[in-house]
Amino acid sequence: MSDTLSLILQQSINGVYLGCLYVMVALGLTLIYGVMNQINFAHADFVTVGAFTAFFVVTRFATKVLGLPDTVAYLMSIVLALASGALMGLLINATVFGPLRERGDELRPLIATIGVSVLLENGQLALFGPIPYQFDSPFGKETIRIGKIFFTQQSVLVVVCAALAIGALYWFMKFTTTGKALRAVSQDRETAGLMGINQGFLIGLTIVIASALAGAAGALIGPVLVLTPFAGASVVVKAFAIVIIGGFGNMEGTILAGILVGIIEAFTVQYLGSGVIDLVVFVLLLLMLVVKPTGLIAERREENV
Amino acid sequence: MASAPLRPADRASLLQVPRQWPAYLVALVAIALLPYVLSTPYWRGILVVCAMNVMLALSLNLILGYTGQLNLGQSGFFAIGAYVTTVLVKSYSWNFWAAALIAVICAGLVGLLLAAFAVRLRGHYLGIASLGFAVIAYQILLNWESVTEGVRGIYGIMPPSPIRIPGLPEITFSNPVALFWLVGGIAFVVYVVVANLLRSPVGETLRAIREDEVSAASLGINPARWKAFAFGIGSAIAGLAGCFYPGFVGTLVPDAFGIVESFTMMAMVIVGGMGTMIGPVIGAIVLTCLPELLRDFGELRLMVYGLALTLVVLFMPGGMVQAGQMLRARFSRASSGASR
Amino acid sequence: MRRKVLSSIAAAATVLAVAPLSNAQDKVIRVGVLMPISGPASYFGVQGKQGIDLALEQINKAGGVNGYRIQVQYEDSACSPLQATNTVKRVLEQLKPHIVVGEECSDASLAIAPILEQAKVPMLNAGSATLKLTESGYKYVFRIFPTADQQNQVLAKYTAETMNAKTAVLLYEKTNAGVDNADTFEKVFKAAGGKVLARIDYGRDVNDFTPIATRIASLGKVDILPTFGLEGQTVRLAQALAQAKILRGGGGNAVQVGSIWLPWGFEKKAGQASEGYVRIVQFDPTEKRKIVQDFNTAFRAKYGADETPTHINAHAYDTILLVAEAVRRGATDTETMRDRLSKMKDVEVTTGKVTFDAKGQNEDLSVIHIVETLKDLSWKTLR
Repeated sequence: MSDTLSLILQQSINGVYLGCLYVMVALGLTLIYGVMNQINFAHADFVTVGAFTAFFVVTRFATKVLGLPDTVAYLMSIVLALASGALMGLLINATVFGPLRERGDELRPLIATIGVSVLLENGQLALFGPIPYQFDSPFGKETIRIGKIFFTQQSVLVVVCAALAIGALYWFMKFTTTGKALRAVSQDRETAGLMGINQGFLIGLTIVIASALAGAAGALIGPVLVLTPFAGASVVVKAFAIVIIGGFGNMEGTILAGILVGIIEAFTVQYLGSGVIDLVVFVLLLLMLVVKPTGLIAERREENV
Repeated sequence: MASAPLRPADRASLLQVPRQWPAYLVALVAIALLPYVLSTPYWRGILVVCAMNVMLALSLNLILGYTGQLNLGQSGFFAIGAYVTTVLVKSYSWNFWAAALIAVICAGLVGLLLAAFAVRLRGHYLGIASLGFAVIAYQILLNWESVTEGVRGIYGIMPPSPIRIPGLPEITFSNPVALFWLVGGIAFVVYVVVANLLRSPVGETLRAIREDEVSAASLGINPARWKAFAFGIGSAIAGLAGCFYPGFVGTLVPDAFGIVESFTMMAMVIVGGMGTMIGPVIGAIVLTCLPELLRDFGELRLMVYGLALTLVVLFMPGGMVQAGQMLRARFSRASSGASR
Repeated sequence: MRRKVLSSIAAAATVLAVAPLSNAQDKVIRVGVLMPISGPASYFGVQGKQGIDLALEQINKAGGVNGYRIQVQYEDSACSPLQATNTVKRVLEQLKPHIVVGEECSDASLAIAPILEQAKVPMLNAGSATLKLTESGYKYVFRIFPTADQQNQVLAKYTAETMNAKTAVLLYEKTNAGVDNADTFEKVFKAAGGKVLARIDYGRDVNDFTPIATRIASLGKVDILPTFGLEGQTVRLAQALAQAKILRGGGGNAVQVGSIWLPWGFEKKAGQASEGYVRIVQFDPTEKRKIVQDFNTAFRAKYGADETPTHINAHAYDTILLVAEAVRRGATDTETMRDRLSKMKDVEVTTGKVTFDAKGQNEDLSVIHIVETLKDLSWKTLR
């Protein structure tokens, strides 16, 4: 295999891996927006909470207390991180989104989530301190090499988990009653309400699912991140860009956009320099908004007059 | 409902003496006296920051509170004001005041450009587009090193250059009192002009767009043009505030103009009371002074800040203006001894 | 007669009894400390505080210096010029300090220098690498941190001459300090005959370095990888470079060289990827000097038996040592403090020796230690 070809292939693999990480973070954001037109700025901090949960489970609990081997401990930590994310989602729904929903206000929940984000970041700072924690996944130790291409088991795990999460979501949305009700609510709230669907419960459920995804994402990207209370902030802005590029509230679009952004990032590093990654991604974002504001995969939405 | 161009009668109203002139007089006196009440260099510095934040909050309120457009990119216009002024003065030896004028015009023009996007987008799309603008502005500041010096920063920035009016002694701004009078005075003028603007038919037009854009359009208002107008004015004011920032701090680095700053401005508007005139002023003052007053809390400072922000937003949606109104209502009920 | 003697003795006794009390009220040296306590930069602030607290404890427990107690007021400047400007004014008003220690970040340090210069209060900096701090003609600014120039003169020469490195890829974080270091290294390295294949900068929010590692792998033969960044990212970078088989620790041939930001624990965190890393450390805990070993012991006693002090701890500790030394030499107010500091020669601190030149910069290069990470992840001191 020629050098250039293997280089391109390698960066593509890097890009897909990065993209899957971003997708895991962005998917939750797009879910929440799809069902209730709201942005949760604390989403990134849920990712951080998930990462810390996973870290402490792996290093303190699963191995020391339960005596489990590394790999099982890590997998267990993903599950527990998911649970921690779900818990955060429950809390924020109960305290912020729920009470403000009746007022029909678009902006105030947004600002409230900013306040929650500041609170979470500084709370974690007070608890954990600013010095980065070393979170290494047992799957990251071995490098798999095929010719000149290399990747780790961790990358495979990330892609598999992302695929699983997406698959589970799809199945849920398309084949279960609750899922169908959710889609109804995201398409047309008023009519769904008229048809006897309990919006409050469904919206709360969505937030919990989205936040659980964030928590699990934290466990998966923890070994990649520099783990400090500010870790989530480093991915959130790109996650927002992905959600827009893909189309707000649109799952397929978000997935496509996430992988695309990952690949673009990898190739930008190769040919332009890593200092301009953010610039490239956001110029792309603005281009999308000019050319196709509804996103890569347009969703048919009617504007109610 | 008024249609597009400003009639001569409206134009005059921008500068007429409003009915509330006693309140304005009190405010002017307060601005004059504050640096002597809070007379330490530290507090005088905080006063200057307050004045800048008041301008920023007012500018955002025009776009967000009165025209109903979610703008998360205000930090970008603030940055344009700061950098254009500084680069012109430092690298090209322009006079500060000329540079500031150009900077304000630049900020306004970029605002209009962003408005070109705003026309097509609604609600959260606009919000994220404006966020994208803020990120891109930050990235340009970071990477266009030949002009902005990037992360290295620009140092040794002087306060606004002295004004020489023949016959009068030279007016310098190198001491914090004079600087506060300058920035505070400009903030005051901005307030008066914007208040008059909003009281005129223009204000009604903007409010109509905020309430229901489609209905407004059906009444003959061109929403696109007015949205652009609001954006242009709002971004110009933000740029104006930005002109004074580097002279006050003395150093200019891109890190001062990130999305966190945009969020803080939005918080000022909302905590104060969105869609009112005095709300953003109160919000700006409170959110500037609160972190300073909490310094003795040490590490807990920002946690308290975040908690306070969340609680205000959750329980006092109209911000402090609404809280004030509620208090006043309760007092008048109590004093008049009225029963339920 | 006896009554007179008695009463004068009583009077004298009263005066003697009261006098030390009133003096004790006055004999305090006030130090203002500007550190990033909030935000991501609190990484520096937390460690700085540890060092200063330890020094304070030791000095005050021993009764102070010349009868003077040292009092410290911390202010949060969050690495930002605006906050640094505000907090330095606050500390000047509230504390009226004899000296101000701070800040960590170059931008913030440059912002407060003119204010302290105007207030005629000495400023002791132990964290900023920017040249401008001591090249701007300030008379009241002192720095014990080696400048980017000093560090990279030593490092680049070492790599070119002793290690025979011919090609380099510069990796640096996109901050004032990162850029400064990369620039000075490149200058010296090229002058010594080396070739820089690429300059790769990265923001503080980059987490995954595989794309960068892939890019470097495509550049051909690389001898050294000068890296200028903080611990967290450098660990990830090293791991990625090892995976890409660039580093010796991963089966490649190149070796990372770098800056003084990597503390002792780096090897443990980066694992085998850190093998061969040649870097400058300002504080070498393996040094046999008594002051270093005592510091290690005291640090462990206070903060935990498996903690090893980092250079940030050591720097902060040293600032208080220097203040104490100045007091020992007769400093009692801001002017004498400034004077005693400027005259210091060969004063030994944990990081090395301090001699301030006319610009206030420590010109003694003994603070620059070069160490290499061996295969068993221990340190070998090279210089």
